Formats: sequence, C-alpha cells, structure tokens
Amino acid sequence: MSELTVGVMSMAHLHAAGYIGLLAARPDVRLVVADPDAVDRPGESGGRELAERLGVTDYVDTYAELLARRPDAVIICSENARHRELTELAAAAGAHVLCEKPLATTVADGEAMIAACAAAGVSLMVAYPVRFSRPFQALRDAYPQLGRIVAVAGTNNGQLPAHSRSWFGNAELAGGGAVMDHTVHIADLLDALFDGAEAESVHAVTNRMIREDETELETGGLLSIGYPGGVIATIDCSWSKPAHYPTWGGLTLRVVGEGGIADLDAFGQKIHGFQEPTRSPLWIDYDEGGDAAMLDEFLSAVREGRRPQPDGESGLRSLRIVERAYRSASTGAPA
Amino acid sequence: MTVINTIKAGLRVGLVGAGGIARLHLPAWLALGAQVTVYSIDGAAGTLVNEFAGGQVAESLDELLDAVEVVDVVTPTFTHPEIVLAAAAAGRHIVCEKPFALDTATAEAMVKACASAGVQLLPGHVVRYFAEYSALQRAVAAGAVGAPAVLRFHRCGSRPLGGWFADPALSGGLVMDQMIHDLDFARWIGGEIETVFARIVDSSPGTTDGVVSAHVTATHAGGAISSCSGTWARQGTRFRYGFQVAGTDGLLEHDSAGAAPLVVDAGAARAGGELVSVSPTVESPFLTELREFAVSFSGGPPPRVSAEDGVAAVRLAVAANTSILTGAPVEVAA
Repeated sequence: MSELTVGVMSMAHLHAAGYIGLLAARPDVRLVVADPDAVDRPGESGGRELAERLGVTDYVDTYAELLARRPDAVIICSENARHRELTELAAAAGAHVLCEKPLATTVADGEAMIAACAAAGVSLMVAYPVRFSRPFQALRDAYPQLGRIVAVAGTNNGQLPAHSRSWFGNAELAGGGAVMDHTVHIADLLDALFDGAEAESVHAVTNRMIREDETELETGGLLSIGYPGGVIATIDCSWSKPAHYPTWGGLTLRVVGEGGIADLDAFGQKIHGFQEPTRSPLWIDYDEGGDAAMLDEFLSAVREGRRPQPDGESGLRSLRIVERAYRSASTGAPA
Repeated sequence: MTVINTIKAGLRVGLVGAGGIARLHLPAWLALGAQVTVYSIDGAAGTLVNEFAGGQVAESLDELLDAVEVVDVVTPTFTHPEIVLAAAAAGRHIVCEKPFALDTATAEAMVKACASAGVQLLPGHVVRYFAEYSALQRAVAAGAVGAPAVLRFHRCGSRPLGGWFADPALSGGLVMDQMIHDLDFARWIGGEIETVFARIVDSSPGTTDGVVSAHVTATHAGGAISSCSGTWARQGTRFRYGFQVAGTDGLLEHDSAGAAPLVVDAGAARAGGELVSVSPTVESPFLTELREFAVSFSGGPPPRVSAEDGVAAVRLAVAANTSILTGAPVEVAA
C-alpha cells in the first residue's frame, strides 16, 4: 500500500491528540504536524512540545511548511471559527480535508468550505466519530427491526470543555456554547439514520445556570426538531456534567419505532468500581471509540478516490440545525 | 398543639369506578383500614370487591354518597367533573384521579365548588409518591444538586388498546393522560412553568396499532429548562420511566429499566402490555399517596399535592396540546 502524507493542522482541539496517536501508529501514513496558533493558548498544551510528547517526528512551525510537504490529506483541529481559513488553505494546496466538528461556526463559512473543496477537486469530510462507533453500528444493524420510526430523544452532555481548552468559552472562536458544541453529534447520527433528511423545524431553549460564573456562553440547551413525515426529535446538548464527574460525559439515543424501542449508550462500555485514596468512583472505559474507524474511512476514500461520509453537505445540515436553534432561542419561535 | 398524623379509624371511603386504577386503589384503602363502598356504572364493582375480598357494593352513586365520608373518583377522565361536583354537593372530601378534567375552566370550577362546599379535593398525581421521584424531590429540595437547571423526564407504556382511553377526545390523549405526570413533577421541582413547546407523532392515528410519542420543552420561572418525552409503544412493551436533573452543583438520574433490585428471567417474552407497573420492592405509591390523603381528610397536615396543583397540571397539558396544534410555543398563564 502506498504511503500517504497526512498533515494535522492545529492542535487547538484536543481530539488532535487522539488522531495523532492513531495516525502515528499506522505504517501507511507519513505524519506531519503544525500548531502555530499554540502561541494564542498560553498555559495550555500545544506546539512542538505536545507534538513530540505524542511521538510526532515531523513537526513544522507554519501551515505553509506543512502544505509544502504536499500532503495527500489533512485533518483540521483548529478552533471552530478557523476551520474555514485552514480548509481553504489545504484545498488550495490540493489536500483532501477531514475537518473537526462542527464544520464551521456559520452556515456561510460552511458553504464556502464546500465550494473551495469542490473547486480544488478534493474531498471534505467532517469528523463525527460516533457515527463509526461499534454501538452506533449495532444500532444501524438493529434499525430495520424498529419499523417505522416516529421519535428520537438524544442526549450529548459533557463537562465544560473550556476547562481544558479556554477557546471553547470564547464566543467568537467557538461560535457558541453547548448548542454549538454538542448538538451536532446527535444531529449527525439523525442525519445518518434519516438518510440526510433536512430538518423542517427547529425549536430551542437555552440557559446558563450551570457554571454561570465560568462562562458567558449557554451551558444548557434543549432542541425540539421536526423531520419530514412527522418524525420528532429532542436533543439535550447541555454541558451539564459536573466538573469532577467520573467521565467527560456521554451520548445516548432512544429511538422509538412501530416495531420497538432502541436505547443506545454510545459511551456506556465501562466497568465500575471505587478507589479509596481518591474517594472517587472508578469508571474504566473499555470502549474502542469511533476515531480509528473514522480515520480509516477518510484515508481509504482518499486512496480509492471516492467521497468519504459524512461529507461537507452532511456537516452543513447539522450546522444548519445549530444556526436555526440559536435563531429560535433568541426569538422564542421555531425556526 | 398536636399534629394529627393518623387516619380516622374506619374511614368510610367510596370508590367510584372499578377499572384499572381502582384495582390499585382498593387494596391500598383496605390496607389503610378504610371501610370501602364501590360503585361502578358498568356493574364491575362486585367482581372487584370479590377479587380483593374487601368492600361492599353500592347500587347507585347516591347510595355511595350517602354511605361515605370520602369519595375516590377513579372513573374515565371525561366523567370526573360530574362525579366530583356531586360529591362536593354531598359534602364529601374527594380524591380525583388525574387529570381533573379535559380543560382548565372545568378543573377550576371543580376546585371552586369543593372550596365552597368546604371539602378537600386532592388529585391523584401518584408519580409524586413513587419512591424514586420522592427521593429525587427531597434531595433537590435539600440542595443536593444546587439549583435545578436542565431537567429531563421520560415515560413509556403500551398504547391503550381500546375504549375511552384510546380516544383522545375522551382521555385527552398522551399528553393529558400520561405526560401530565411529568409536567406536574417538572413543575414541582423546577418551579412554575412559563412556556411550553410541544410536538406529537402518531404512526397510525385513529387506531390502536401504531406508536405515539410526544416531546415537550418547558421553561421555568427561575430559569430552568425541562424536556418531557412520553410514548405509547407497541403492545407488550415494558412500562418504563426515568429522569435526569442537572443542577448548578451536580446531577441525579434514574431509569427504571436499569435499576431493578430484583430481576426474574423466566425465559419467556412478556405477553400483554401494561399501563403502569408497581415495584414489589417498595411500598405501593398508591398506598403512600392515599395514606397521606387520608391523614389530611382526618384533620392532619395538607399533602404534598393540592387541588391547585391538579388544575396547574391540566393547564400545562392543555398548553402543550395547544402548542401541538399551533406549532408555536405557548405561554402558560399562572
């Protein structure tokens, strides 16, 4: 198998560390990393120091140097608001793009990214790893037996991400709070289950009671979505897990169909116990996650010259739900 | 001053109705030492009394009203107002199954009539008495999770197979009949509800074959937000409920499907569906509820749920059903 050169652009999003670990372990990938914006994150991990700690042997100081290596593909892990400029840079250099979620902070930016990649003849994929997790694959396998689907209740709750990366608390860089950060994972799973059906109506309420002293952004959010055919969905996207909760958070879906009800706990594969010295519950994860399978889909598609999924349009559909949710939360009416 | 916390010995209770909820209320009244008289328009009172080996049968509502001190109305929803008004006119304290009525004005008139007659009217919002929910309420009231901020409630049972219950015009439908429990509970611990937004889907309207789900989003006066989801699922689906309350200082959650203290796997699929199931590992919430009501009727302290709560719950369900029709959020007038 021919070796692919894969660049990781920015480590502002901590998912970069996971991707780098997986890519570094692949014999078919030559990895190059640049994180020039680490200087904007004083006191947080990043740059050459973090890259070397992750075992990266080829770290460069600028995106220009990274793109000069003529990467076949790049993974963009910048702050949400910088996805567009990095995608445009990468596309112009002829690299296929896997962009961290959400696609962008505005639908206009997302559309520009899709146009830039189309013009350059490169693929644009959005990093939605839960789609590739084994629990969700098992749900897809069981899906036909649920019959006609009428309703889905989804939750994606987490801790305040700004604890580890302060840009998540910056409205401009993150594009918003819990609604921007956590709606899209569930919206993407619904996009997969509903074959890309566009939402017909989005209603949202938000608040910022939880950790209101730590962020100006919304930490609580409930979306009610109407899909074609009368299907209804609710998403709890709140950053409602306590700061010292035993895990970062989780994602659940309850899918109600004429033939039955399926409950998915995408991160539920854990063993439980208790640790006396820290007086804390022990939750030990044995879930393999979806990152490896997602990277495999991206790189296989690059090799085979096909379009990887979820693509830019798919990412745009979930982003549109976010944009409509913010509009609804500000007007009070469904959008 | 002494607080009365006992039930008047031999409290005479009239059970009106002999259907599903009567089967849960009759044994509770008998366990409380009440003398029970049962009247049912469909003639099923005798069968019920025989089955539970307790109580006597009245041949008419008037005969029942003459014989008792407390009337427990466990009839189909659309008949509640008439029976409650008759019981109030007879000067009897009243337990009325939820919802009081299918519209707010009627529910308010019932409360007013009972107040004028000087009798107590208490709604059967039994979820407030389920051990898990009771534990949640006490913990939240004690500040265990700080101020409640984001609340979720879910409830699922089999779709009603027939009769009045399956007809939304008579039962009020899924929101009025089932989700009203969660709307009431959300209001109890999240504070007064200001707006509701609701959606409903029925895969086979007008039949008993399909699946019905409703999702309601509510905003509370103190800033909290709530989500309730309710489902009437295919026949044979296990009765199930749960919640998560995330507050400023922590969270509490429960799902009946994942928290059974006793599981017996008999190797066979469950046959019929169930409307409600009561855990054998805690006291029946109906007994807990009716004991608290009986203490109140005997001159003790008021219970955790009031007639005004019963009206408020109807108002919330009506608002949610209005939102379903208009597609817009509905402000709930206090």
